[in-house]
Amino acid sequence: MNALSPSTLLVLVPLLPLVGAILTVALGRVLGARAHLPAVAGIAAAFVVAVMLLFGMAREVGVGTTGHDHAAKPVEMVTTLWEWAVVGDAAAAGDAGSAAQLFSIPVALRLDPLTATLLVIITGVGLLVAIYSIGYMHGDPGYPRFFALVSAFVFSMSMLVAASNFLLVYVFWEAVGACSYLLIGFWFTKPEAAKAAKKAFLVNRIGDFGLAVATFLLWMTYGTLNFHDTTLADGTLMPGILGATRLADASAYVGGAVGTAICLLFLLAACGKSAQLPLHVWLPDAMEGPTPASSLIHAATMVTAGIYLVARTAPLFEACPGALTLVSIVGATTALVAALIGTVQNDLKRVLAYSTISQLGYMFASLGTGTLLGFTAAIFHLVTHAFFKALLFMGAGSVMHSMGGVIDMRRFGGLRRIMPITAATFLVGSLALAGVAPFAGFFSKDEILASLHSRGWPDAHGEHLEAAPAGGHANAAATFHLAFHTASVTPDAAQLAGGARGSALDALNTPATWRILFWMSLVTAALTAFYTFRAVFMTFTGPTRVPEEAGHHAHESPPSMTIPLVILAALSAVSGWWLFSTHSLASFLASTPSFTAPSVASTATPPAFHWDLAIQGTLAAAIGIVVAALGHLGRRSDGPQMERFLGPLETLFANRFFFDQIYSALIVKPLELIATLAALIDRRVIDGLVDAIARVPAGLGTVVRHLQSGLMQRYALAGVIGTLLIVLALVARAMG
Amino acid sequence: MNLLANTVAPSALVIDGLVVGAILFALGLVGILARRNLIVMFLCAELMLQGISVSLVSWSRHHGDWGGHVLVIFVLTVAACEAAVALVFVLQAFARTGRLDSAAWQSLRESNLPRTIDRELPAIDTVPPKFPKLAPAGVEPAADEDALHEREHV
Amino acid sequence: MIASILPSISPGTLLAGGITAAAASLWLLLPSGRSGAADRTARWLGWLLGIVALAGFLATGHRLGSVGEEAVFLTVALVAVISGAATVVSRSPVYAAIWFAMALAGVSGVLLVLGGQFLGVATIVVYAGAILVMFLFVLMLAQPAGLAPYDRVSTEPLLAAVAGAVLLGILSLSIGRLTAEPPACCLMGGTKAALLADSATTEPPAAAATGIDMLADNHVARLGGELFGRHLLAVEVAGVLLLAALIGSIAIVSRGAADAEPAAARRAVP
Repeated sequence: MNALSPSTLLVLVPLLPLVGAILTVALGRVLGARAHLPAVAGIAAAFVVAVMLLFGMAREVGVGTTGHDHAAKPVEMVTTLWEWAVVGDAAAAGDAGSAAQLFSIPVALRLDPLTATLLVIITGVGLLVAIYSIGYMHGDPGYPRFFALVSAFVFSMSMLVAASNFLLVYVFWEAVGACSYLLIGFWFTKPEAAKAAKKAFLVNRIGDFGLAVATFLLWMTYGTLNFHDTTLADGTLMPGILGATRLADASAYVGGAVGTAICLLFLLAACGKSAQLPLHVWLPDAMEGPTPASSLIHAATMVTAGIYLVARTAPLFEACPGALTLVSIVGATTALVAALIGTVQNDLKRVLAYSTISQLGYMFASLGTGTLLGFTAAIFHLVTHAFFKALLFMGAGSVMHSMGGVIDMRRFGGLRRIMPITAATFLVGSLALAGVAPFAGFFSKDEILASLHSRGWPDAHGEHLEAAPAGGHANAAATFHLAFHTASVTPDAAQLAGGARGSALDALNTPATWRILFWMSLVTAALTAFYTFRAVFMTFTGPTRVPEEAGHHAHESPPSMTIPLVILAALSAVSGWWLFSTHSLASFLASTPSFTAPSVASTATPPAFHWDLAIQGTLAAAIGIVVAALGHLGRRSDGPQMERFLGPLETLFANRFFFDQIYSALIVKPLELIATLAALIDRRVIDGLVDAIARVPAGLGTVVRHLQSGLMQRYALAGVIGTLLIVLALVARAMG
Repeated sequence: MNLLANTVAPSALVIDGLVVGAILFALGLVGILARRNLIVMFLCAELMLQGISVSLVSWSRHHGDWGGHVLVIFVLTVAACEAAVALVFVLQAFARTGRLDSAAWQSLRESNLPRTIDRELPAIDTVPPKFPKLAPAGVEPAADEDALHEREHV
Repeated sequence: MIASILPSISPGTLLAGGITAAAASLWLLLPSGRSGAADRTARWLGWLLGIVALAGFLATGHRLGSVGEEAVFLTVALVAVISGAATVVSRSPVYAAIWFAMALAGVSGVLLVLGGQFLGVATIVVYAGAILVMFLFVLMLAQPAGLAPYDRVSTEPLLAAVAGAVLLGILSLSIGRLTAEPPACCLMGGTKAALLADSATTEPPAAAATGIDMLADNHVARLGGELFGRHLLAVEVAGVLLLAALIGSIAIVSRGAADAEPAAARRAVP
């Protein structure tokens, strides 16, 4: 497609931000206020390359040229840069007949529709955030450091989604975690920031532990860590975990206890990184970092790593329907709980943080359905969410910037008169988040609801699913459903997930569960609309009030901040409609190797717009907006509306369901107790034992020491006795 | 019946000499180990040397050789040297401590051990000598100033 | 003759008993810090045991060639041994020195009987005449008035006595084994039969075999010839050693006198 080969381009995507980061570190002091140049240039170039790759990949897949009603063939391109670690000799391993036990870690990058999509999102949002930060971070003493970190993050995240090996995934999983830690603690002299960074790091360790153990289990189970098939030195083909060979074989994935364990560990990892229940507590605190970093890392990209991981390992999850159901349960529960907490937050960034958690929960709920629609809907929502949540965060940042660092919504109001561009773009983002009709969130949320609905009421979607084992060749007739009819519970619903091989969790996999999840999601949609517009009304409407910290120069933000806002607003407005109506993203993603596994591909349904679900979703959003308007529109934002409205529940929500307190009581305090106990045991028992052992030679010494009296006649006596003993021994031997 | 006398190569006299030498040597050893007085310790050392001399002469008689005799002469020489040097050391030691006690020097002991001190000895129940009481035998003569003066100038 | 009184006791038992009695005797006799009646009792008991020990040793003894020779040897040997024991156990160092002189007399007698005429005399002359006098001079210089506390106690008397007894036991055993198995050196220059034939006589068998007659005339001349012939270099070295000891003693005395001046104040007898 152009002079540069795709593999070179693929390498360039992570490489350019890395070079940018290194240059920023090296030249930061010299460049001073222009320290953003290497980072912005690197990310911009990476973005261009990523877009080129996306179009190249789209041409390869043939989006729009072929029909959607045949099974998508997997498209992937793997570039092995070098062998990072090789343990064992390939020839020897071959002789021993255990080629599968050859341990090698190739540094391999892959390109497939999923990776291409995410690369564009990462570099695109990264570029906009970088440009925005030029204005936002202006004058900060850590200016070069910020850009170096953002650039390093873009590098790590690109590598994470491009890596074709679970160990590399783990490495860059940690790398993005490190970048996140450093950016949350960017203002490390602020105690809250340092504490929040520490909390994020520690909570993420739990998830990272899950990923590490899952990686070990994968190695033990499959004998390789590669995604792709590799050809060994002796010519034999080593099937990768997500390679074409294994994907073609429906029974190639281990289910049962081991498979479920792997999937649950992946889920644990995803919960840590994507801030899902019960590991969500770090994300709200992570808002202590600079707002652009929150926008990029804690809204648009890094927190979606968990979504990426589950989507990437879709065939593994398909083998364990129980684990898959649990993904949905975790997701929907998180979505609901976070939305409830979000309704009472008064900190604009925290509202958005809980919103992020909630929306990520949506994506997990969608992934958990295990259908192709669910997976593509999750990625779809990931894309649109990246746009509008980045937009909202940047808008919040813009407000914060002009309000002198104040972010408490109760202290300002009517800001639309002061900062019209921010207000307009924030409104667009809010509409998208709330899922109002033509905006992006509406379409992606609709697809998620549809995927959940198809599991809860299989009959309504039955004509597709029943034909599923044949490979998804069902006709595309049914484009219109009425979902309000009741459906009988199919007793063998568990088998719908395909290849169920038994696990205690599988008992969860009943339509009843899915119906509950669906209703939870619908309630969440209403709550989302409510808290979003509550924030909008509190911030931008009502009497104009400006906190005194802002001084007299409260003004609209500079162009470097508003331009990215406008771009993102435009994307939030149209991307959903465009991507949905052309069905381009879904069919594009369907060619991702992980989604071409029979267990996933067989659940393919023709593209459909679900009017019934759309009506329900819109209704929910409308209710939320109306309630918010009733409560907050045109009023002073510091009124006690919520308290009056919620009563005692407000305490529960405002205290975030007491999660932090529960963790403190259940985990931190007992651990401290155990630590105190251990310290006591160490000091008393272990040290006592050691001291006792040490006292033995000392005691012996005390006894023997008296021989060393200094009296020379005693020494002479000892010498004589010793000599006599030796002579006696010799005599005894001579006589004996 | 007789332990030392049946079909012996060394004659009975030689054997007896050896036994006497052994007894003297053992006695000297006991003395040197037990006695505290430095001079007595040296005397015991000399006693051991005497035992050696007797043994050497016995063996010399047994072998019909002069070697033993010659060696004894050298033993005498060395004993004389040893006595000279050792007695000088004893004098020096006495000069420093006012005692001839071998336990007066305990520096070669464990650093944190207390010094070994003899327990209190019971008093010697010797009868204090009774000196005869004599009547004063006159008065002190007055000094002759002239004689003293004269003596100074002699 | 004593052996015939105790016919039923084996010589090994006699020897062991004698040595044990000697050890106990020494232990009792050594200064122990006792005083008064206890001390006197212990000493009496010690001397008694010493006599028993000597009797045991004599019982294991044997007859020499003639009664006269035996009597002479026994006398001088007893004098040497008893005086040696008295040297060791005497409280007063002066008495110890005097007893040592007696022991020297006994030893010189033993040496004379053994055929060392020159050595017997030399011992008296050199030891009793020179060395012992030196000791007494030193005692006069250094001995504090009265009986010093350190003369009334001993260091580990029991252990020392036991060690001495064990040493004596080992030596007696090896001397006893000499009679049982003559070493190879004793067989050189003569047949075993000849040696065996000589065994009961006072004649030195080896002397007879090798032709060197130590008991012959010109004893001192022969010894001098040997000394200044074969051992000339050693004699010279011994002379140098004596000179070195002389110079060393003088040097130590003169240097030590300077050092000792400040310590003179501490010369109080404890």
